[in-house]
Amino acid sequence: MKLLPHWVSRPALVALLAALVVGAVLPKVLGLSVYSQNQVTETFLFVAAALAWNWMGGYLGQVSFGHSAMFGLGGFVSGRLLLALHLPFPIAWVAGGLLAAAYALVWGHPTLRLRGPYFSIATIGVGEATRLVMTYWEEFTGGSSGLSLPITPGLKSQLYWWGLAVMGIVLAASYALRKSTLGLGLLAIKSDVDAAADVGISPTLLQDVVLLLSGFTVGVCGAFYASYQNYIEPGDMFGFRTSISFVLMAVIGGVGTILGPALGALVFVILRQYLIGSYPQLYLGIYGLLLIVVILFEPLGMMGLWLRIARRFGFLRPEVEAGLAAKAAVGGAAAGVRVREGGAP
Amino acid sequence: MSVILRADGLSKRFGGLKAVDAVDLELGEGEILGVIGPNGAGKTTLFSMIAGSIPPTSGRVLLNGKVISGASPRRAVHAGVVRTHQIVRPFQNLTVLENVMVGAIYGKGRPLRARERALEELDFCALRDRAPQLPGGLTLAGRKRLELARALATEPRVLLLDEVIAGVTPVEALQMADLIRSVREKRGLSIILIEHVMPAVMRLSDRVIVLDAGKKIAEGTPQQVVKDARVIAAYLGESASATEAAAREAESTPTPASGSRAATRPTPPSNPTPFSTPKKDPGERQ
Repeated sequence: MKLLPHWVSRPALVALLAALVVGAVLPKVLGLSVYSQNQVTETFLFVAAALAWNWMGGYLGQVSFGHSAMFGLGGFVSGRLLLALHLPFPIAWVAGGLLAAAYALVWGHPTLRLRGPYFSIATIGVGEATRLVMTYWEEFTGGSSGLSLPITPGLKSQLYWWGLAVMGIVLAASYALRKSTLGLGLLAIKSDVDAAADVGISPTLLQDVVLLLSGFTVGVCGAFYASYQNYIEPGDMFGFRTSISFVLMAVIGGVGTILGPALGALVFVILRQYLIGSYPQLYLGIYGLLLIVVILFEPLGMMGLWLRIARRFGFLRPEVEAGLAAKAAVGGAAAGVRVREGGAP
Repeated sequence: MSVILRADGLSKRFGGLKAVDAVDLELGEGEILGVIGPNGAGKTTLFSMIAGSIPPTSGRVLLNGKVISGASPRRAVHAGVVRTHQIVRPFQNLTVLENVMVGAIYGKGRPLRARERALEELDFCALRDRAPQLPGGLTLAGRKRLELARALATEPRVLLLDEVIAGVTPVEALQMADLIRSVREKRGLSIILIEHVMPAVMRLSDRVIVLDAGKKIAEGTPQQVVKDARVIAAYLGESASATEAAAREAESTPTPASGSRAATRPTPPSNPTPFSTPKKDPGERQ
């Protein structure tokens, strides 16, 4: 069967379809309450956002602490369009995403020349500057009193299906991006940007392309979030906590892997659900602790754990496992991979 | 022999330091040109300018009459000039095959059949059986061959090899020299070679240029160059007056520097010894 490009593996396709089917039948089979169904919708959203963050942070190795800028911009642009023009919300989302992508390019094109921690620090500055400007720009964001969006009947159950669709598209895009020739170029840039340039890669072009894709997707997620919440406020949408949550999801699940951030987002939403209820003050502290534990003991997060198990029980040949781990590794994580390689028989 | 690559008055200044000072060179079609010189002579800077990694302060590089310098390495690669690195720089996170595929996809050729073309290059560089491994598991000689395979996969016309022989065992050095020759014979590439292992340069190169303190101080066949008094002075670090003396001596006798100086020459040209491996470059990573 030659219907598929050669880089699409059948198990991956089956897994994606299975995830979509599970998502589709979940509310009916489990008889979810409206509240729980909304939780699942939110999970879809965060899965998509974490995966899009990972295109930058994981595939390219440029860890951004400023993705809230695109998330917030997508949300407010889409919100304003919904209020002013009464567009159908998918169109407003795409418009929000496009503007977010354009904004990402404006700050990203110059800062992506920086690498590693220097880029990360620059993104913190971008995120905070954007938050401050947006908080004071009351005509656009409503300032600290925020913006209320129109509510239509049945919106939330509609959003469930839209969320499932967005997640499906972003999962497929994550797979395609990683397996394509573009993905190979990104991994080469992550490993050694100068050596990559010396064999004909244009790091500027490839980095800009990924930033556009990531910014667009995160912008759409922000727009989705705005529609889902009905009320948005710049301190939350543009907040550092939003940026950090994308990083956390990806790190807990496994930076640089295809599926890791999706699992991380799932865990993040579940944890937040329990922690916010029982220990509201502790919940960020517990995330911090979790982050330290993951980075110290399993730099590739849940996917790293899975690779370990797979090797232990012989699902994967050691060289395949080492190859997957090496591709996923970023910065400090790479050191961890090397140590384990050295220890392998 | 037609000229494929030409550098006109190529200079690079880093602050007050003239790393490369008005160097002219010509590379003929199918020629192997050796570039030698003491450490810090500006050899790698010269390469970086030809390969587009750094823009020249003045001067230009032409490939078949078209300017390729001063833009980006990508422009040079797409024109047909590719370099390897003195300190090997494989993509550690990609397998040996994928490393070469990057060259095949992003190089001068079209990205079609990248995998097959990469496998052919691995065959050529005797790395086929290492294809699924990570480069970290290769020996230094293996990683140097990987650099070469990745560069060849970009389908260049001019290959810049930065010390691909230094630092490997004598047997591996012989294999690498054979590989470089077959790159020229079978692939018809023109090659510029920076090398510290003198016997290798002398045997491989059709012509040699010598750099010292950024300036080209000699050019000619390997036999001519090793007899050049300025070259000897540059390598032995003689004072200016001694250099003049050596120059006078060179003029007076057809075989200069006879007697005691001959014993300290970098390379005995009349008696090519087997490849020797010099002490490891301190900058070399294992």
